[in-house]
Amino acid sequence: MPDFAEPIARLIDQFKRLPGIGQKTAQRLAFHLLRAGPEEAIALADSIRDAKLKIRECSVCNNITDADPCLYCASATRNRTVICVVEEPHNIIAIERTRQYNGLYHVLGGALSPLEGVGPDQLKLRGLIERLKTGPVQEIIIATNPTAEGEATAVYVSKLIKPLGVRVTRIGVGIPVGSDLEYADEITMLKAMEGRRDL
Amino acid sequence: MRGSLRCDNYIHLRFAARVRWVLTVGAPTTSMPVRESEALILRSFPLGEADRLVSFLSRSEGRMRGVASGARRTKSRFGSTLEPFSYVRMWFYERQTRELVRINQCELIESFLEAQRDYAVSLAFALVSEVTEAVLGEHEVAEPNFRLLLVIARAIKAGAKLPLPLAYFAFWIVRLGGWMPALDRCSRCGADVHNARASMARSGLFCPNCTLPGQRTISQEALQLARRMASEKLERLMKANFATAAIDDVKDHMLNLVEQHIEKKLQTRKMTADEPGQLK
Repeated sequence: MPDFAEPIARLIDQFKRLPGIGQKTAQRLAFHLLRAGPEEAIALADSIRDAKLKIRECSVCNNITDADPCLYCASATRNRTVICVVEEPHNIIAIERTRQYNGLYHVLGGALSPLEGVGPDQLKLRGLIERLKTGPVQEIIIATNPTAEGEATAVYVSKLIKPLGVRVTRIGVGIPVGSDLEYADEITMLKAMEGRRDL
Repeated sequence: MRGSLRCDNYIHLRFAARVRWVLTVGAPTTSMPVRESEALILRSFPLGEADRLVSFLSRSEGRMRGVASGARRTKSRFGSTLEPFSYVRMWFYERQTRELVRINQCELIESFLEAQRDYAVSLAFALVSEVTEAVLGEHEVAEPNFRLLLVIARAIKAGAKLPLPLAYFAFWIVRLGGWMPALDRCSRCGADVHNARASMARSGLFCPNCTLPGQRTISQEALQLARRMASEKLERLMKANFATAAIDDVKDHMLNLVEQHIEKKLQTRKMTADEPGQLK
């Protein structure tokens, strides 16, 4: 005899497929939806379906969007001479929160990671090269993560772009604001020293 | 009624005995002593909201996996210590019922992060990491493998051309695994193969008479290099000049042996083959 009625068991199974959700959490979520009004459950189902059906990749920058091109690529007010290269679409949100950057973006869809089977062919580099050849781009800011994979990707991309005569810069790496130098490890401190600037 | 009283008395006596035992012996603890060991980080994956699942080779405990809480946060106390091939002093504890250890703290001893900025070098490190993970079981103490990884990483960091350290690594990983055939005689008939055209397979080295169809030959230069690898340090071999074909031959045959023993193809090996630059 099954522990739960078939529809609930199926719902729990679906929740369990989501990252970070185990059996107990899946049960809690399923029972929360059962207790909630039907409109709440239907609204959730609708938003999942809409997100899945309407969201796609921007044909220019590979950002996720509901309109192609995305709002950054379509905007007339953004600076078209600068492109910031990021690993994933959610990295754009972190940069947009600064409200200082007004250029365009290019999403690579990951970083070079041989152990994960991600090589240069798996990254969306061809579109970036096309944009550099055809557009008024003067500078590329590489904003990949400051990890081994991110650094390798940054160096690879810069080697690819420099022959095109475009300025290539890397975001600063070092001590985070609000932390204490005492707790910085050697590599973080070294990067901070390398990236020092005139005052 | 009498039964109930007897039951209450029994529980009372049991409880009193337990209290006496705790007072005299001490509370039953599930203590988790923090262990300290030198370790090399093999790879790490994002886990949950901001954690990392880290695979590492401990000098004293062997290959292990652990969780570093909050390691992906900007102000993480782990900093760059969990990057691939970081040589660290690590403090961790494990619970008997859990497969993963919990990583408390890491102190950087030596970093190989700068060397990995080059894609070809990062591919080489990835190959070393994948092979190590594949051949070593968890909690299997492997101090010689630990020293081998350090030697290889330091040679690459010092700027050595990649093929020789990789071939040396592949040779010694096979030797430490106990899969190395005799390099001077035929495995079937015992004939001397010092000056003969030999072939190598999982079951050993074969002279021309015993070679079966389809077995891949190994050059005499490659065999000589392999014999030298068995007795000489990498830094000494790097000063000598070896033909690229011989180095590639040793590496390919050794990686073939590794793949035959782990019964799967190495993912990074194919990627290194596709990389036309420094890896060939």
